[in-house]
Amino acid sequence: MLTALVLGTTLLAFLAFAFPKSANGAAKWYGVAVALAGLVLLELMDPAAFPPDESARWLSYPFASNFHLGMGGVSYALVQLLATVTVCALLATNVPRQRNFVGLMLLLEATMLGLFLAKDLLLFALLWDAMLIPVFLLMIGWSVHPATAWRYLIYNVAGGLLLLLGTATYGVIYGTTDVIGKGQVTPISDAWAPWILAAFAVAFLVKTPVFPFHTWMPDTYAELPSPVAAVVSSVQSKAGLYGFIAIGLPLFTAWTHEFATVMIVLGTIGLLYGAVIALVADDAKKVVAYSSLSHLGLILIAIFVFNDYALRGAVVYIVAHGFFSAAMFLVIGYVETREETRLVSRIGGLARGSPILAGAMAIAALAALGLPGLAGFAGELFILTGVYQAGYAWLAALALVAIVLAAAYMLRVYQGFMHGPEQADLPQRPDLRPLEIVAVAPLFLALVLLGVNPGPVANYPDQAYTMLAEKR
Amino acid sequence: MGIEGQYPLLFLIWLAPFAGAIVIWALGPKLKSWSGPIGCAAIGVSFVATLASWADAVRSGPAGATTVVGAHQTMVTWIKGFALGLLWDPLTLVWTLIITGVGFLIHFYSMGYMHGDRGYPRFFAYMNFFVFAMLTLVLADNFVVLLVGWGLVGLASFFLIGFWFERPSAVAAATKAFVMNVVGDVGILFAIFILVAVVGSVSFADAFAGVQAHAYNGQLLFIACAALFVGCAAKSAQVPLHSWLPDAMEGPTPVSALIHAATMVTAGVYLIARCWPMWQGSADARELVGVIGGLTALLGAILGIGQWDIKRILAYSTMSQIGYMIMGVGVGAYDGGVLHFFTHAFFKAQLFLTAGIVIHALHNEQDVRRMGGLRAREPFAFWSMLVATLSICGFPPLAGFFSKDAVVYETLVKGHPVLYAIGVLTAGITAYYMFRMVFITFFGTYRGEIDPSSLGIRHPELAGTSAGLLKHPHDEAAPHEEHAPAWLMTAPVAVLFVGTIFAGFLDLGGTNSFWYGLLQPVFGATIAPVEGAAPFSELASSALVFIVVLAGIGLAYLRYGSTAALRDSVARLRNESIRMFPLLTNAFYFDAAIDALFVRPSRAFGTFFGVVVDPLVIDGAVREARVSALWLGHLFRSFQTGLVRAYALTIVFGAAAFIVYYAVVGAH
Repeated sequence: MLTALVLGTTLLAFLAFAFPKSANGAAKWYGVAVALAGLVLLELMDPAAFPPDESARWLSYPFASNFHLGMGGVSYALVQLLATVTVCALLATNVPRQRNFVGLMLLLEATMLGLFLAKDLLLFALLWDAMLIPVFLLMIGWSVHPATAWRYLIYNVAGGLLLLLGTATYGVIYGTTDVIGKGQVTPISDAWAPWILAAFAVAFLVKTPVFPFHTWMPDTYAELPSPVAAVVSSVQSKAGLYGFIAIGLPLFTAWTHEFATVMIVLGTIGLLYGAVIALVADDAKKVVAYSSLSHLGLILIAIFVFNDYALRGAVVYIVAHGFFSAAMFLVIGYVETREETRLVSRIGGLARGSPILAGAMAIAALAALGLPGLAGFAGELFILTGVYQAGYAWLAALALVAIVLAAAYMLRVYQGFMHGPEQADLPQRPDLRPLEIVAVAPLFLALVLLGVNPGPVANYPDQAYTMLAEKR
Repeated sequence: MGIEGQYPLLFLIWLAPFAGAIVIWALGPKLKSWSGPIGCAAIGVSFVATLASWADAVRSGPAGATTVVGAHQTMVTWIKGFALGLLWDPLTLVWTLIITGVGFLIHFYSMGYMHGDRGYPRFFAYMNFFVFAMLTLVLADNFVVLLVGWGLVGLASFFLIGFWFERPSAVAAATKAFVMNVVGDVGILFAIFILVAVVGSVSFADAFAGVQAHAYNGQLLFIACAALFVGCAAKSAQVPLHSWLPDAMEGPTPVSALIHAATMVTAGVYLIARCWPMWQGSADARELVGVIGGLTALLGAILGIGQWDIKRILAYSTMSQIGYMIMGVGVGAYDGGVLHFFTHAFFKAQLFLTAGIVIHALHNEQDVRRMGGLRAREPFAFWSMLVATLSICGFPPLAGFFSKDAVVYETLVKGHPVLYAIGVLTAGITAYYMFRMVFITFFGTYRGEIDPSSLGIRHPELAGTSAGLLKHPHDEAAPHEEHAPAWLMTAPVAVLFVGTIFAGFLDLGGTNSFWYGLLQPVFGATIAPVEGAAPFSELASSALVFIVVLAGIGLAYLRYGSTAALRDSVARLRNESIRMFPLLTNAFYFDAAIDALFVRPSRAFGTFFGVVVDPLVIDGAVREARVSALWLGHLFRSFQTGLVRAYALTIVFGAAAFIVYYAVVGAH
């Protein structure tokens, strides 16, 4: 079933390119249908009894490698997020040459589905690079500045190269790369282990991104068409964090402890650094981009304090951030198509003419600033509870500063756009259309449900938790 | 805590206002003027259900070794240690009665006050949502749901302060209130971290059992209490997190009455009263809270002297009165502090709603200098204001007398003579500035037609705060000829008279009183009277306070109410406006200090990192290849085409080497 999901989405994605030029509108609905089918398939699964792994040998020399897909709790949380956000992003799509756009978006979904389900390091590394291609093509095809597109590609290919190198080394030394989800199989005393983990870590840090590897990110997020920005910021950025949870922690348990200090320091710098820049950035999408730097820094900290609350919180927050950052990008996209700008200093008073747009942005912004009762809060609560419990009281206190800053910068964007006097020189456009509401409604629903009870996502059984418990 | 069981009525109390909010939200434009009655009905249902559940709240029964009181409804468990439920005990009952009871009256009043406003349905949706959030706060049986309510009331407050969102001053006030309250929220978050680390649970019962079992090491209990108190200080406008409250008067007057006087701002009092076992376990925490409460009471009263906006006078009086409550629960006089919340809800709501009647009658004038002589023109407002003012001053036998004297005397009983002196002094100042307002507003002659500058109003277009740059938006929509019937606004005020006058009688009779009987099961022996702890009796203390209050009223009379003062009131008011101490007009420079210490530095950091460090240092060579080339000389010019790629690869591989080096060398 998992193979069918991944390969089926890939095949159906290519079919989208075959649509006639005149059928752009139909292509969008085709894309929505494919993504929705995938989501339904996932929702039918039972978190207590995931479908069995599917594996086929595809390489025996120089090391054994399998096309091995399997589902775990963390993977399940991520693919659900991915499928939901893809459906919403496609619904909100309103660009020229839609059939190609839809095809690339579905390819992006397919590669990421494979990535989160991969149980083989080589498969993981190959899909890691493969998922760059659709994004890169979307960038050059849909009006992103070439310099930005190239920077995105170079940074991420560099990271991907390291991942591939590390994987190859791993395979040659230990004989197989089919090791994800098998527990700790790497000997602690091995001299190569830290080098391999370091290669992986850099790839993960670039992808997330974490300070100081983040500079490709603000421009990328700001210039991407909103639906792509939504998927990249909400899901692709989680690939690195997922890597740490699913590969770093179990495979290199002892060594991750040696890396912890560096990771926590980088995460903390990003947490505050992103927050203060978000406080002054004028471009609303860059505010969201820098806020992501801040929020993802917190998740990195959560992973490297090795605490059960923090790790479960990290998963909840990964999902929560996925939903609210996607919602923010889509809603800012709505504003941009209406006002032809997204500068906080330019726009004002939209709430008067567009109350629904204002309401949508309010929910997205409030979730992002961690309003109690919405999903982001639950994630932050679990993470920081764990951080404190793990003995980092001052770090927990420092993170609270970032939460206060988040309130300030998110409200700045919301009020800048929606409140104050109306700007007479900007176009007066109608409120959200029904389809635009439908596109963001699932995200809001998820944010509320997860905020009321984050239990399901926090409690998906995953070997990451059990390994953490054994270690303690 | 609480007797386990299924209590469907609790969900009705809790969710009826939420349902009202959702219905009005979804159908608002279609409901139009029906949204008011629907909003009222939702709160009414909640109030009736509260009365119907009274017996559950005061029921007591054995649970294991101890006796428990009230009802407990389990709801959901998030993860280990995060079991969430509802609690219904006398303390919650007291708050719920005020939230739904006074809340209903204020909703009713709003049907008149907000009549004709373009945002009429939106207003009732927000108000219903606020009541839901406030009920969430007081119904919680744990710190997480409490914090959810805590955050949501802040959100409702944000939307209602900024209700007229086209006014920049309202927008600024809303943001300020929200961000300062987030500072409080994170305080409570930090307390939760401590509790989970120590007792492994977020429920009140486990946290308090931990105090009994001495589970908190060293200063940890104090730190937890202090962290909780950061939340209380922000929400209840205690020094130094108080400055959002006066600005919050930008909201419509019913909002000020419900949220910024009767209910939300007393959440801090609730939290301390709820967590009394923790405070009982830490003398330092009691000291901290008592001192901050006393300071706030005094500071609010002093600032109240220098205000000209009728709502800002009341805002500072609210701050001051909450200071009393906080001082009360801080020193351990839990029943007194809660009683002052209870009586304050009546008289302060009445003060605000009456001020609203005046403001409404004068077409949104809020500056008391431009009022005067309203006694004849608005007799109902005059009598209402006078009685409520006497009550807040602690004039026997009105409600405020009982509660304020209880708090003030208890500070002495619990061994805080300095706080006692502050309490007595503040009572005098309160009498002075409240009667100052009454005399200026209702006595003498009407000054609304006089040139504002001759009254010392420097910027007449900015007079007060809320007369603001723009007119009240609901002026455009509804000319004043179309006012709603006056009884919509007077009837709720008339009902509040009952509480303002009689609520204090509940405390009559010492340990036999209704009030003591209600709260004794919650607070146990801590509120039992102590014989001979104070140098003089409660009666003597009351007499002392009464004399000070009379002195305050007398001084106000001499300066504003005597025949001589009324004769040349215009000149006197102008002189006072011009000669007002800068310290008072700038409210002791708290805003300036916060701006200089926190707001500006954060922005400066942001600009520095965002404009200099991020693009030029970290991303420098990648984005601005030429800049690097200039720095590094001509050598690099020939490599420029490849520089971008080279740099990206260098930084990535360089960092990898660094991490490995650190890991390998640092590990051994």
